[in-house]
Amino acid sequence: MAIIETKDLTKIYTIGRKRTVVGLDHLTLEIEEGELFGILGPNGSGKTTCLKLLLGTLFPTSGEAYIMGKTPYDVSMKKEVGFLPENPYYYEYLTGRELLIFYGKLFDMDKDALNEKIEELLNLVGLHNTQKLSLRHYSKGMLERIGLAASLINDPKILILDEPTTGLDPIGCRDTRNLLIQLKEMGKTILLSSHFLSEVERVCSRIAILHRGLLLALGRLDELMSKYKSSNLEDLFVKTINEYDEKIKSQGVAQ
Amino acid sequence: MKKIWILACNTVKESFRKKTTYIIVLFALIMIASSEFFAFLSSTEQYKMITDTSFAVIEFFGFLLAMFGSISAVSSEIEKRTIYTLLTKPITRTNFVLGKYLGMFFILLINFSIMAVFFVGLLHFKKIPMDSGTFKALFLIFVEILVIASISLSLATFTSDAFNIIASSFIYIIGHLTGYGRQIIGMTKNIAVKGLADMMYTILPNYQNFTIRDKVVVGIPIPWQYVIIVTGYGIMYIVIALLIGIYFFRTREI
Ligand SMILES: Nc1ncnc2c1ncn2[C@@H]1O[C@H](COP(=O)(O)OP(=O)(O)OP(=O)(O)O)[C@@H](O)[C@H]1O
Ligand SMILES: [Mg+2]
Repeated sequence: MAIIETKDLTKIYTIGRKRTVVGLDHLTLEIEEGELFGILGPNGSGKTTCLKLLLGTLFPTSGEAYIMGKTPYDVSMKKEVGFLPENPYYYEYLTGRELLIFYGKLFDMDKDALNEKIEELLNLVGLHNTQKLSLRHYSKGMLERIGLAASLINDPKILILDEPTTGLDPIGCRDTRNLLIQLKEMGKTILLSSHFLSEVERVCSRIAILHRGLLLALGRLDELMSKYKSSNLEDLFVKTINEYDEKIKSQGVAQ
Repeated sequence: MKKIWILACNTVKESFRKKTTYIIVLFALIMIASSEFFAFLSSTEQYKMITDTSFAVIEFFGFLLAMFGSISAVSSEIEKRTIYTLLTKPITRTNFVLGKYLGMFFILLINFSIMAVFFVGLLHFKKIPMDSGTFKALFLIFVEILVIASISLSLATFTSDAFNIIASSFIYIIGHLTGYGRQIIGMTKNIAVKGLADMMYTILPNYQNFTIRDKVVVGIPIPWQYVIIVTGYGIMYIVIALLIGIYFFRTREI
């Protein structure tokens, strides 16, 4: 059974009284345990919408979403998940360390285990020296780093990361990439949304390309590349999007 | 239950580190202290003035603390987008609302105690006689503040801050004008207006029930039964308000 699963997952946002915007359009996806899955797409294609639906902060217009066979509102499912939102914002009145303590406590972690984990994570994301600084004084990349640490606090089975490397310096990007590979080797399932194609190309086994809420391509990287006769992911990405846009355009003309 | 406690602690921490509450409390203390400028009055008049003004100040500033505190406790999470991460942790939305309210309870308890202790200290210093009525009046003001907090918190789960401030203030004013309000209703001929106003008075809390300072100041004894019944009345409103808040927050998209 797939560890992350969506069935015809659809989200239509209502703006004001009448206007609607399609966020996600009948997405059906299965991600197996241990996969490092990349979800790609232009701005506004529905990546964040999809992740939010999986975690239950948004409610679907129709369709279903499951993580480990459980609905997005199941607290026991959330115990096994780590999530990093895009452009993470945290309590600016807390210090980096206090933030990790706060989240750790919500996972019922006992004090010793939590302290040990925090030491490990602060070293991992390179924030050991600034752990006593309040988050108000963190830079964008530092917030992204503490967010990554926070998403790992419960040693999750499943990691859901929304653009984890936006705002990171080149070293941070490389470290994150290596960390993702390491986590995958530890058997974790990772769902990653990203605009950094070269990075996705290096770490992900399977990808999905979304555009205007629709799933345009899904599969193993090498399979998709040969299907679209592309030599790299960027080429593949552009081809898929263009092909769709042209199809829509010609249909529009035909009508 | 433990989750609610953890969320409450974080809410209290936020309130203390943001320091806006200090300013409101400080202002209240200044107002209480300045009530002694009525020193030109005869001594019994002066007693009444000091106690009456101080009760009013504590109640009004309690209202401000409860309303703004509850609004910021909920909407700061939403505006600062910390809620995105928080709700993906193993907590329910019910935990969130109850945790915020428990946090508000402690914040209000602390700030109210500061004002109350200052007030009692002032009475003691001025050698103004106190009796159990003074403490009953203070206690009921605290219950009223808790009701106000529950209503503002509940509204914060589904309305904008601006609307919340208007609605909370409206309920506060209406809740204190019950006597006049009913008189005015009695005079109107329009059945629709009358029906609506009647309904409002039946649904909304009558904050005047919590106000016994006018009686306490002139020495009319307040029976304990009254205090207990009115406390129960307050708790009923708190429970209903929180249930409404939980209902709306569970359906809210973040
Ligand atoms: N809260 C909202 N209300 C209305 N429309 C929304 C809302 N959130 C997203 N949308 C719309 O849904 C669509 C998908 O947005 P989404 O945030 O999922 O895109 P994304 O793929 O994450 O984009 P990006 O790469 O820029 O992060 C967009 O057209 C956007 O306008
Ligand atoms: Mg996004």
